[in-house]
Amino acid sequence: MSIELKLEHPAENTVTVLVNGDIDMGSSTKVRDILAPLFQENNKAIIVDLSGVSYIDSSGIATLVEGLQWSHSSQNKFRLVSLTPGVKDVFEIARLLTVFEVFDTKEQALVE
Amino acid sequence: MSQPIKLSIPSHPKYLGLIRKVLQELLDYHEVPDETARRLILCVDEACSNVIKHGYGGPCEEPIEATFFFDGDDFKVQIRDYGKQCDSSQIKPRCLDQIKPGGLGTHFINEIMDEVSYCTERAKGTLLTMVKKLKNELTSVQEKNKE
Repeated sequence: MSIELKLEHPAENTVTVLVNGDIDMGSSTKVRDILAPLFQENNKAIIVDLSGVSYIDSSGIATLVEGLQWSHSSQNKFRLVSLTPGVKDVFEIARLLTVFEVFDTKEQALVE
Repeated sequence: MSQPIKLSIPSHPKYLGLIRKVLQELLDYHEVPDETARRLILCVDEACSNVIKHGYGGPCEEPIEATFFFDGDDFKVQIRDYGKQCDSSQIKPRCLDQIKPGGLGTHFINEIMDEVSYCTERAKGTLLTMVKKLKNELTSVQEKNKE
């Protein structure tokens, strides 16, 4: 399954990355390529919407961990929203669910 | 034991989706619950990704052979490659206390599967065997179907 990535600007200095498709060894570099420059821009919050992702592997998790590390060094907020059961389960096995800021909806991620 | 299902894919990430789909169909056919099926698919995907990355040193067109067996209540999968042999004593999951990218694939496999073994006693490549005991999962599905 090919991956589709789309950027939205739901509020000032906030960018949402909408991901649609499986994040695996073949597609995680595309996610990384779209995420990396966002931390160089003037974004206060970077939100990754995973509602369209039913499968993620260790390379996808690694990409999001990189995003988390970039957010720590650049002082941006980095938030994940709408994890599907399959994706949530992989985060749980990796014991990373509590390490990220995770929200059920984009609206919640924007407000809080 | 039922007849094994065999699938050979080229060692390129673009074929990982294919192997996931085939395995999903097979696990659906055997009424393996969704959560367990997702986890088994993750293990097979991670094993094939490791072969591409470490066995063959990157995407190429070398063979990765996957064989799936249902033996009673056990699901067994073998992943065979003909690349660089691994030193199984060096294959260890990393400490999860360190929050850093990478190194999670082996953790997933060891956490999910009941038995994992690597055999390099051959001229080329590695044979990875993973077993998951499905007795509890399949019994609960059968009981649900009876209701």
